[in-house]
Amino acid sequence: MNDKLLCLDDISHSFGGVEVIRRFSLDIEPGEFVAIVGPSGCGKTTILNILSGFVRPASGRVGCEGRARMVYQHDGLFPWLTVAENIALGLRHIGDPAERDRQAADLLELIRLRGFEGHYPHQLSGGMRQRVELARALAGDTDILLMDEPFSALDYLTRLRMRRELALMLEERPRTVVLVTHDIEEAAQLADRVIVLSDRPARIRCELRLDLARPRDLTHPEVVDGIHRLLFELGLEEDRSDVRGDVFVDA
Amino acid sequence: MIRSSMARWIVGAFGLLLVLGLLRFKPWQEEVVRPRQQLTVGFLPVTCHLTCPVTDFATKTSTSTRFQSQRFTDFPTVVEAIKGGRLEASFMIAPLAMKMREQGLPIKIVYLGHRDGSTVIVRKDIPARSLVDLRGKTFAIPSIYSNQYLVIRKLMEDQGVGADEIKFVQMAPPDMPAALAAKAIDAYFVGEPHAAKAELDGSGRVLYYAKDIWPHFISCVLVVHEKLIKEHPDVVRDLVRGIAESGEWAETHRLAAAKVASPYFRQDEKVVRYVLTQPKDRVSYRMLTPTDEDMLVIRDMAIKVGILKTPIAMSDLIDREFIPKDIRPADIDMAGAGK
Amino acid sequence: MTETKRTSGERVLPVAVVIGSLLLWWGLAAAHVFPESLFPDPLAVGKGVVEEVITGRLFNDLVASLFRVTAGFLLAVVLGIPLGLVLGSYGRARAALLPAVNFFRNLSPLAWIPFAILWFGIGDSPAVFLIFMASFFPIVLATVAAVATIPMVYFRVAHDYGLTGGEMLMRVTLPAIAPQVITVLRVTAGLAWVVVVAAEMIAGRDGLGFAIWDARNGLRIDLLVSGMIVIGLIGVVIDRLLFRLTRIPSVRWGYER
Repeated sequence: MNDKLLCLDDISHSFGGVEVIRRFSLDIEPGEFVAIVGPSGCGKTTILNILSGFVRPASGRVGCEGRARMVYQHDGLFPWLTVAENIALGLRHIGDPAERDRQAADLLELIRLRGFEGHYPHQLSGGMRQRVELARALAGDTDILLMDEPFSALDYLTRLRMRRELALMLEERPRTVVLVTHDIEEAAQLADRVIVLSDRPARIRCELRLDLARPRDLTHPEVVDGIHRLLFELGLEEDRSDVRGDVFVDA
Repeated sequence: MIRSSMARWIVGAFGLLLVLGLLRFKPWQEEVVRPRQQLTVGFLPVTCHLTCPVTDFATKTSTSTRFQSQRFTDFPTVVEAIKGGRLEASFMIAPLAMKMREQGLPIKIVYLGHRDGSTVIVRKDIPARSLVDLRGKTFAIPSIYSNQYLVIRKLMEDQGVGADEIKFVQMAPPDMPAALAAKAIDAYFVGEPHAAKAELDGSGRVLYYAKDIWPHFISCVLVVHEKLIKEHPDVVRDLVRGIAESGEWAETHRLAAAKVASPYFRQDEKVVRYVLTQPKDRVSYRMLTPTDEDMLVIRDMAIKVGILKTPIAMSDLIDREFIPKDIRPADIDMAGAGK
Repeated sequence: MTETKRTSGERVLPVAVVIGSLLLWWGLAAAHVFPESLFPDPLAVGKGVVEEVITGRLFNDLVASLFRVTAGFLLAVVLGIPLGLVLGSYGRARAALLPAVNFFRNLSPLAWIPFAILWFGIGDSPAVFLIFMASFFPIVLATVAAVATIPMVYFRVAHDYGLTGGEMLMRVTLPAIAPQVITVLRVTAGLAWVVVVAAEMIAGRDGLGFAIWDARNGLRIDLLVSGMIVIGLIGVVIDRLLFRLTRIPSVRWGYER
């Protein structure tokens, strides 16, 4: 037993005879921002689903202390509810209506969508929709954000902007975050720890630690360095001599 | 949002139903007190069934059983209503009544609707003088279970026309004048006023009146369910007497009868008047006792053309028990007629 | 979302078509192409409408038909949507009942007339039954299809935010199927209105459909045509009314994506 906020202990899982995860273990500290990257179809999303409790693993132990919420790729908002009503879903546990309104107003302020509370999701741009999703997930007093490629449906510039916004929001409302992504830049720019997965069945191939305050510039040397490292680990770039040896911990 | 707008729609929909229901059933109007016995009698808007609405009109004010006439638009519905136990008395074409009896439905013919009152119409531009001239032509009949069909088949035989030398089509009577005008059919034989209509339109002329082919021709009869005979013989007696007296009255008050019946038929009074008066013996409402001889002729013709299979016994089919000895014209107060 | 402005042509054209048809009708009648009593001119039909209005029969028939259609249609909605929800949610129920529902959907409601009389006699109830038969099965099928295609992610989100049971139904399932269900309601309401003409062939004393059959029996083609016109106009009104359902803000998403 350990006191970690989130932990996966010796997890194995398969879908219809195909082994997706084999003997996988992961501990996550409170307040940590962990990104999981890996080849597509390697089981990243399954790990997230196991963490959220949506998928029960075939074997192994899942530990989760605290309330977790998921942020989906896209279309996670209810299209029949307005921005304000979608956000209010995240505040359902608050009994006092005045308090609820105040918090909703704060969240709208946080995502800079004041004046859009009466709009419906289909009336917003993709970036605005994902900001509402984030606001809904950040509402109230949850502890953990599980993010499943939250920005993958957005265009490149919007994605860059959203990373920055996410960093700022987390500064205001700190959460433990597990981000599944295939975007290496995103991982290097946001995470404290990047976990690189192997091909199916998923194992941890290596971990990259980035001890750097957020928001980070994409062109910050350490971020750039991290990107190179990750590309190398995924076999997409040659090894480079100028990388610092201490950032990698072999699994 | 969804709750309030949807709720408004749901409330609106049921509110609409409520309002329509109120407008339809008018619960604020006092229930009409009906201390008298009442019976619904089915009919179609043809002059063969004229005595039915006349009896309805007559019993509005009389003290005996109230007869409520129920207008139908086709015979299959009448049959289904009787089979379903929703209708216990109705006018209908004679061979159809026999067919129902053959199928085991316990109904009895208790009276006739009329004598004559059907007409063979041909297109004006066809110079036919008999059925011989209609060889190869298209001829419309209301139903193969109608007496009109049987009579025409009999007449063809008499004139030496082969069974397949005339093309028969079944057609709803109201469609016949239009079909004739459109030259889709060349001739038809049907109960009035659907024949007179073509005459009045100028698209057809009379080839034969029913009386020319078969004097005292019968097409429609009054049938009653045996259950009603068993449980309420007095009502059946009242009904037959009412129909008989209405017929006697209509026979001598033809213009008044047209006025009384046309709102029930929802037909133009002029057309009904024409049928009842041009010529006067186009239809008759006397001699309405169903005799075995008449019915046997119909039955045997029906078997011959294949619409009946078994020679049903006349004692099973006819019940003359309720026919009054002497028939006086009904005492009809014309106040309120024509509405 | 603002509606696109209609150009003046779009406003004028429908009116021009109506006037053109009336002129063509009047011309055909005036030229006596068909016998007058079988093809009345617009004036005679207009007189027919006035006659029906003055005697109060038109209002009576209108109320009767609308009552039957509303009752039959609402009954189909009230029973059809819940059944569709059950079939859409439970695979076993769907496997058991869907073939039967599909079978009945293909039957013309008119084929039920003998049974309508057998079970409901004559009057309002058989007509209500036939209208019910016409609208019930399409509503069930559309609801099943709508439920089956709700994206899984909505249920996951609802679960994440602690929605359960009744709340899941009221706040996720029903709003998610609303746009598709509204579309089928518009279609079936039109169908129900068409069926009323046939349903009222069954002996009754009133109703617009009955008025048409009756006018035919009564050799009154002018009244028949006036009945046709009223039925057509009411059909348009019903569709315009139900079209407003698609204007509810919380279902707009279903029509704008």
